[in-house]
Amino acid sequence: MSRIIKNLGSLRLGRSALENHVIDELLAGRLDRRAFLRHGSRVGMSMAAMAVALKTVGFDPIGEAKAQTGKPGGTIRIALTAPAGKIDPVTVSDQYGLLVLQQVGDFLVLDGPDLTLKPMLATEWKPNDDGSVWTFKLRKGVKFHNGKTMTADDVVASIERLADPANGSNALSAFKGILSKGGTKKVDDETVAFHLDAPNGNFPYYLSSDNYNAIILPADYSGDFEAHMVGTGPFKLEKYTPKVGATFVKNEDYWGGPPLLDKVELSFYDAQQPQVLALLGGQVDVIQQVSVQGSQSLFNNPAVNIIRLPSDAHRQIHMKCQKGPFADKRVRQAMALTFDREKLIQGLFRGWAALGNDSPFAPIFPSTDKSVPQRRQDIAKAKQLMADAGTSGFDVTFTTMSIQELPALASIIKNFGAEIGININLKIEDSGAYYGSAVPGKSDWLDSEFGMTDYGHRGIPNVFLTAPLKSDGTWNAANFQNKEYDKLVTDYVAALDLQSQQEVAGKIQRLLLDETPIIFPFFYDYLTAASPKVKNMQPTAMGQIFLQHATVG
Amino acid sequence: MGSAFGRFLLRRLGLSLFTLWLVSVVVFLGAQVLPGNPGRAVLGPLADARAVAALNKELGADRPPVQIYLSWVGGMLQGDMGESYSYRAPVAPFIGAALVHSLKLVGMIFLIVVPLGVGGGVIAALNAGKPIDRIISVASLSLTVIPEFVSAIALILIFAVILRWLPLSATWPDGAGPLTQIRYLILPALPLVIVLFGYIARMARAGTVEALSSDYTRTAILKGLPWRTVLTRHVLRNALVPTITVIAAQTGYALGGLVVVETLFRYQGIGNLVLTAAKAKDFAMLQAGILTIGAFFIVATLIADCITVLLNPRLRAEMGG
Amino acid sequence: MSAATDTADTAAPLPAPAATKERSTLGILLRSPAFLVGAAIVLFWAFCAAFAPAFVPYDPLADDLLNTLSPPSAAHWFGTDQIGRDVFSRVLVGARDILTIAPLATLLGTTVGTAVGLVMGYFGGWVDAIIGRLIEVLLSLPLIIVALMVLVALGPSTPTVVVVVGLVFTPLVARTVRAAVLSERHLDYVPAAAVRGENALHVMFIEILPNIWPPIIVEATVRLGYAIFTIASLSFLGFGVQPPSPDWGLAIAENYGVLVGGFWWTVVPATVATASLVVGVNLVAEGLQRAVAE
Repeated sequence: MSRIIKNLGSLRLGRSALENHVIDELLAGRLDRRAFLRHGSRVGMSMAAMAVALKTVGFDPIGEAKAQTGKPGGTIRIALTAPAGKIDPVTVSDQYGLLVLQQVGDFLVLDGPDLTLKPMLATEWKPNDDGSVWTFKLRKGVKFHNGKTMTADDVVASIERLADPANGSNALSAFKGILSKGGTKKVDDETVAFHLDAPNGNFPYYLSSDNYNAIILPADYSGDFEAHMVGTGPFKLEKYTPKVGATFVKNEDYWGGPPLLDKVELSFYDAQQPQVLALLGGQVDVIQQVSVQGSQSLFNNPAVNIIRLPSDAHRQIHMKCQKGPFADKRVRQAMALTFDREKLIQGLFRGWAALGNDSPFAPIFPSTDKSVPQRRQDIAKAKQLMADAGTSGFDVTFTTMSIQELPALASIIKNFGAEIGININLKIEDSGAYYGSAVPGKSDWLDSEFGMTDYGHRGIPNVFLTAPLKSDGTWNAANFQNKEYDKLVTDYVAALDLQSQQEVAGKIQRLLLDETPIIFPFFYDYLTAASPKVKNMQPTAMGQIFLQHATVG
Repeated sequence: MGSAFGRFLLRRLGLSLFTLWLVSVVVFLGAQVLPGNPGRAVLGPLADARAVAALNKELGADRPPVQIYLSWVGGMLQGDMGESYSYRAPVAPFIGAALVHSLKLVGMIFLIVVPLGVGGGVIAALNAGKPIDRIISVASLSLTVIPEFVSAIALILIFAVILRWLPLSATWPDGAGPLTQIRYLILPALPLVIVLFGYIARMARAGTVEALSSDYTRTAILKGLPWRTVLTRHVLRNALVPTITVIAAQTGYALGGLVVVETLFRYQGIGNLVLTAAKAKDFAMLQAGILTIGAFFIVATLIADCITVLLNPRLRAEMGG
Repeated sequence: MSAATDTADTAAPLPAPAATKERSTLGILLRSPAFLVGAAIVLFWAFCAAFAPAFVPYDPLADDLLNTLSPPSAAHWFGTDQIGRDVFSRVLVGARDILTIAPLATLLGTTVGTAVGLVMGYFGGWVDAIIGRLIEVLLSLPLIIVALMVLVALGPSTPTVVVVVGLVFTPLVARTVRAAVLSERHLDYVPAAAVRGENALHVMFIEILPNIWPPIIVEATVRLGYAIFTIASLSFLGFGVQPPSPDWGLAIAENYGVLVGGFWWTVVPATVATASLVVGVNLVAEGLQRAVAE
């Protein structure tokens, strides 16, 4: 015991109050290993320091790169859906474009598959006392593909480019209210400081691989990315053909050591089925993401490995709270109570999903309060709520997109509604038509009384808590207006330690369960399919695939 | 007579250009009511409104619609098809690639359907009234109306899923040789072959029946020419005129029917391109794609009409007179 | 689709106008086995469309998430689909939407097309020239592309599909009717009516129309076949009938993705049903065409 205290004592020396708080929570048993890593990494504790702390309380130290089992060399062929438009780091908005970017570029911070932040181009990061200024130390000796060395100027230019509204960056919505133009400042050649709009306990996630657009480019990047793709990443561009694919060769000068593979080949497809066939036919080695429906021939197949990553990707079913049939919260609760969530997960996802409890707090977030009771199907109670609200049923249109399992799910929701007299008509449209201009009045998404939208995985729940639910949220399709909720979310975002995050989370979860502006029926796993000869490939639920240590055959 | 035909051709060409211009106006007007906006389509639903506005400005998509159209027309007059909003690059290479894909498929279709249809029609005519004629006639009549996606499913099930003779996808691996490409194209080609077989067989049968009962055939037979010579030199030559017309006219149709087949087989052809462009509100791409299809359609019809005029002595005489 | 249909028009001998002997026409029809088979198929599906919901074993919309993609069995004769719905029940009820939308679209197309064709044929001159040019513009694009464009713009819904398919067929009907009017115009009764001082509307709709109905009926039947073809294709592409309807084109689109997994029963019944209906309608149309021609 005394040795442990001594170890910790030396560890605590020179650490900020915040870091010491994380260590305390670990000791008090409020953090398990994963949560400790996650929160320690968030406030910028180095991996080495965390390894020491973990050893002290009996965990294994963090492992180094996995033992290499495959033989080096060769080409890995990855199938993915074609990116929606031009590959430009500033504007890329889908996980397909992200996969291209990620081969040639690096982020300051890596949000790994376990939601733990790891150093990438930044080696360490620290907040000031209230979390309003974050300082990042950069890795030394990192070279761009054009031979130039990366400096603080490149980092400042890359992030400022995203924060400047004139550049039309897709990162603008993530940075909104957090980091504005002019907030990124060079301290010295290897240090950059970020002056935030408001204190934020999770800021490093916004510069991590969670933010598609935040790869670091040379300061003089001019926009012609498809032709050169100069970044600092493990692979260098060989050839890019829009709508067809891209090939990359290994970067011998990669700061993390040269990758084992010689080549990466990305092939674009229009849809899932040809990708499935290509994998079965041996024309590709990996499919970036498969959905359960339509991939049946890959499951229980010895020639295919399915890599399952728990994620917080989900479908939001919004009900307009201000007017119309769902204005009474009892009707919204009744609708939510008709959902048989276990069956949905079984029937639509082979059980590969986690139960949702009508709030964005997915089970994988460490801050989620697991003591909040799970909502389950209860038709009798739903009918009672309808009666209490003074309605015996009504007609309503349910609007959604024709992607993946959404039309099937919509048909099932229609049947759920019928149980309590809600007659649902389906309007299923192309996703472009559904989102429309994505502003109220010009978007079926935001204007529909009742509808369903898909949301991809994020490392932290912040975006899910703000944009679709806060009174002034830009994606607030439910028109949810609740001052108490807004206040709680502001508290949650500013909270720097896990315990206070969990406390606020519990309050938010209970409030949302009561108000039910949005039904969150499940959080489905991210599935990547690969041939068994592919080894040490590391996909994430964001859609990245890390290939530095990967081998084929 | 030559000048008369030249005048006919000039008039038809002029009308065709006028028609294409009208088509471009219709597409332009249609594009105005397409949902969404280009910047939003590129950046996705979750992008900030400021980002969308900035991108629309950069793309020039925030200009008044009439100005967008006029500058597009200006470009077209100089041979510039414009820039794609989605890919922020000239559309010409995209159209070119998609057209090559579609033409390969159309080529494959005609390679199969012309011998089959003509052969079937001639055999039916030579056996007019016999069971074989009935079978061919009923088959061609019934097959013609089966939607491409219905026959495609049946073919996929038989040849790709059960027998596993042919690949299910139309997209061949990168760098595949012509033979591999043909193998990949057979399955996507067959649904349209089935639709077109009926038309061609019917025309070939009608033409052959007419030629068989004509004076010159009877004369040839009376002259004691061998049956084979009569058939090839007199009957077929005359019977095939209307058939060729049908084939030319069907090229345009095939290009339209490709939308379904290309979607089903996820083939990167012109139909697929147009549909994607419409969904993304990619104005220049949409215009170029539709005009390409329209131009093909018009040219195919024009060729069909020219053949008819040139081969039909009565029409030729009318123009000469 | 247009060139294909054009050919069908030119390939068919132009029916003899006027003086149709109804009784003998009916006689010819009843003696044609092809017509009888076609009529039987169409009547079978029409019966299913009207009454199937009353006798199918399962609610065609009821899901069963713990019994998805199960193969044909005694309980589910044609198996179940991806969310556990009974395929047999869905196929029988699936005739309903297409057999409502296609006839409505045909009716619309024939009515408007007849009116336009009458005007073109009767007035001739610049009226004919301008409308003729517009028709040529419309027909210079494959009709399915025109229909798709409009549906992408307006969003799919049953009334939209009826209007779009109906209007897309209008030019073809108009052309046929115009040709028929031209052959009538110079017959004695037309100038006679004009001499009597009847107005143009009266001449067109009261005098000419009754004399050209045989080609219009034939045209409408042919159009009905193509309407089914087009609407099924649109549903397959996601722009026609909307979920959760058991419509065949939609069912094929929804389940086509699992075909490779070996779940053939989710698509084969709808495929056979669609094929039988279009062939049936086509046999009826062909029979009518022959009967009217004789």
